[in-house]
Amino acid sequence: MSKKLFRIFGPIILAAIIVFLLLISPSHFGFGNVTAEIQKRASVSLAPRVLKNKRIKEVALKNNYVPFFGSSEWERIDPMHPSVLAEKYHRSYRPFLLGWRGTQSLTQFFVMQNITKEMKNKKVVISISPQWFVPTGARKDAFGFYTSQLQTTDWLMHENNSAMDRYAARRLLTMPSVTSDEVIEDAVRNVSKGKKLTSFQQLYVKTRQRILTQEDYFFCSLYIPSTNEKLVNKSLKQLPKSYNKAELDKLAVKLGKQNTTNNRFRIENSFYNNGMRKEIGRLKGFQSKESFLKSPEYSDFELLLNQLAKDHTNAIFVLPPINSRWQAYTDLKQARINEFDAKIKHQLKSQGFNNILDLSQDGGIPYFMADTIHYGWRGWLAFDRGVNPFLSKPQKTPHYKINPSYYSRTWQQATLQQLKNFN
Amino acid sequence: MDVKQTVLSILKDISGEDLSDQMDTNLYDTALMDSMSTVQMMLQLQQQLGIDVQISEFDRSQWDTPNKIIDKVKGLVK
Amino acid sequence: MLSFEPYEDPAYFGILLLGLLPIMIMMLYGHRSRIYENIISLFFLFLTFGGPSWHEGAALIVYMVYETCLTYFYLHYRKNNNKSWVFYLTVFLAALPLATVKISQQTTSNIPSLIGFMGISYLTFRVVQTIMETRDGVLKKINWVTFLEFVLFFPTISSGPIDRYRRFEKDYRSIPKRDDYLEMLSKGIHYIFLGFLYKFILAYFFGTYLLPQVEAAAMHARGGFLDISWPLIGVMYTYSMDLFFDFAGYSLFAVGTSYVMGIKTPMNFNRPWQSHNFKEFWNRWHMSLSFWFRDYIYMRLLYTFMKNKTFKSMTTAANVTYVLNMMIMGFWHGVTWYYVTYGLFHGFGLVINDTWLKYKKKHRESIPSNWFTKGFSILLTANLVCFSFLIFSGFLNTLWFK
Repeated sequence: MSKKLFRIFGPIILAAIIVFLLLISPSHFGFGNVTAEIQKRASVSLAPRVLKNKRIKEVALKNNYVPFFGSSEWERIDPMHPSVLAEKYHRSYRPFLLGWRGTQSLTQFFVMQNITKEMKNKKVVISISPQWFVPTGARKDAFGFYTSQLQTTDWLMHENNSAMDRYAARRLLTMPSVTSDEVIEDAVRNVSKGKKLTSFQQLYVKTRQRILTQEDYFFCSLYIPSTNEKLVNKSLKQLPKSYNKAELDKLAVKLGKQNTTNNRFRIENSFYNNGMRKEIGRLKGFQSKESFLKSPEYSDFELLLNQLAKDHTNAIFVLPPINSRWQAYTDLKQARINEFDAKIKHQLKSQGFNNILDLSQDGGIPYFMADTIHYGWRGWLAFDRGVNPFLSKPQKTPHYKINPSYYSRTWQQATLQQLKNFN
Repeated sequence: MDVKQTVLSILKDISGEDLSDQMDTNLYDTALMDSMSTVQMMLQLQQQLGIDVQISEFDRSQWDTPNKIIDKVKGLVK
Repeated sequence: MLSFEPYEDPAYFGILLLGLLPIMIMMLYGHRSRIYENIISLFFLFLTFGGPSWHEGAALIVYMVYETCLTYFYLHYRKNNNKSWVFYLTVFLAALPLATVKISQQTTSNIPSLIGFMGISYLTFRVVQTIMETRDGVLKKINWVTFLEFVLFFPTISSGPIDRYRRFEKDYRSIPKRDDYLEMLSKGIHYIFLGFLYKFILAYFFGTYLLPQVEAAAMHARGGFLDISWPLIGVMYTYSMDLFFDFAGYSLFAVGTSYVMGIKTPMNFNRPWQSHNFKEFWNRWHMSLSFWFRDYIYMRLLYTFMKNKTFKSMTTAANVTYVLNMMIMGFWHGVTWYYVTYGLFHGFGLVINDTWLKYKKKHRESIPSNWFTKGFSILLTANLVCFSFLIFSGFLNTLWFK
């Protein structure tokens, strides 16, 4: 009997031992070698895998890639997209696009946890969307979809019970994804209460981190979709040989005209056909009550700022416009946009974040937008004219002073009259 | 006419083949029978021999060769 | 709070192994502890239907009380009476919760979340067949504990395979000899590991990695005649592979786990892609379901039609039954145009297939049969099946109407 049993279970036990040893071993066995090709593909892929992954970003950011944090805007790839321009005109940097539909400040904060070392004293670009700042705040399903446990363990390993860490812990506990591991959930709960991790929790988190890092190394180069990379390569061919502002603007207008022929909003044809056409009647006036003034997102956004300050990272913040024809059709009041701009700028400037590229008033320029809320041809050119000098030229060292009262509910709910209470 | 002959003639009717020389052939594997011919066979058995086979009782693995069918039917005739 | 969908999580398999270990040891020494097996079953049911899914657990308990009462009532009634309408009413009532869930899924009502739970279809299959066998007089006695153990057998609770009460009871009442059990154990472990390959490597590759990409490409390439494009062909094959490896993988887990527990739950797949025609395909694909439909719907309907001479020719009766049978299967998947179309496609496919087989039987001498015709028929069948899965996937619904 024992011989037979051994024949059945022997290989399994052996395999389990080997896998465990592989996972906790300090050596990466030659994995984690991220080629330049993979870095390029990942930098534009926008795949959730890439947001969750650590190793590719680690390698890419050590080279000349710069993180571009944002959300769905990166998806609109045309010849004027920052990734295309940077490659075509041999800029000193390449964008590493981070964000997709539904990524918001809290997701980006955890995405940063993987690359804090690489962000130290470097530059980053952050594209803000007013649409993040809705009364309900971060979407819980999206958060779980875009973040990984490796980010949580990395964060737990270097948290030091600051106001930032406690707030992040409290927020994390409201997300369903945290329940997937009870020990880690308890550890996060300890942080939220200002307590230290127990020694068991420390050992556990450390082991988990090691295993997850190993898995991250093993599988990082697999399954990176190349759809966007192909789009970038195609777009490269449409650009003139050398950078010429006027010539590029002419091309942008031409492409914009060509691609926005089937609707009155100057929305890209394929986007309009994909689901919008049928809904268009229903959408009239649907944003008449929309406001971005009161939202828990403001405190999640503070997490980002706090992390940047901690790492002495120099950031440029871009405030995007909204397609003004669309805005008029859906009855989104300009006053609501201006309120948002004022509040977010207050939060930025009062803490020393002074690099702000405000494009929020440009939604009426023809072919500035590719669709309702995302940059298109001329919008990308304006984006580039603001971001490129920041990244290409040396910048003054910023002096940040973080104010923890931005984590309060009072701030989340603050009106314009109350801004002066926060300085 | 005895049970064996009746069963074989019913099977011949249904499958279109004389099966007296392949008494242990699996009728389903060789596609000589399928669900439809099974129902036909059950109705014929009922008409000609007056035996009631319920569909629930019809476990294919016990009815898949002429010999097995004959045995089964013999058991039910009594 | 621990909570799992069966066979989805590495931790689930870890707990499963621990839970099964005592059963293995007992089996090897010729014991079967029903108390322990029931505790383990309850524990795993609790993992699936407890915690955040507690409302499903509540629905499951109510459902089981209802169905058990119904079966008990019918068994009692059948002892002295056998009216057809009582039987039909009982089957109707047994299937009513499932039908309600399936129909209301298409509306915005919250009925599915109230009375539905994971696996309700498969539980209904088990209950309905028990009622049908009672009517046939094959089941005269039902051990209610075994009945519950059978319907709620945890390895197969969420998606089958669909076992039969009498077969299950026989296994459950006996203890395999040590050598036989070692054989079963080795098979069971083999199945589970083959399941890993299917579900976590192949289905992951096709379903999680490839499918979203080809789907996106197909959405992007819309505009032509019926929005047909090369990527759409890609969706068809990718989805088919995903469906097969995902479900076959799951079934292997369920069968493998059953084997370790000394129950020979029937297999669900037997190399479906090497079928020469639709008929053979349904003898190889999701077998426990297609055999269920064959035994409890197709043969019964056909029997009734033929006995009452509803149709003049037997061929017509058989063909009408094929279409009805597959249409019901379509509706069972869900009340949407694509599931029903899928059912009808296979129904008419079987009719054409049967007509051809009859023709071939008559003209056996003049129709060639060689490696080429056999290869061709396998290829044709596989492609038609993949096409039917494209309908089934509901992707055409997204492509055309969204």
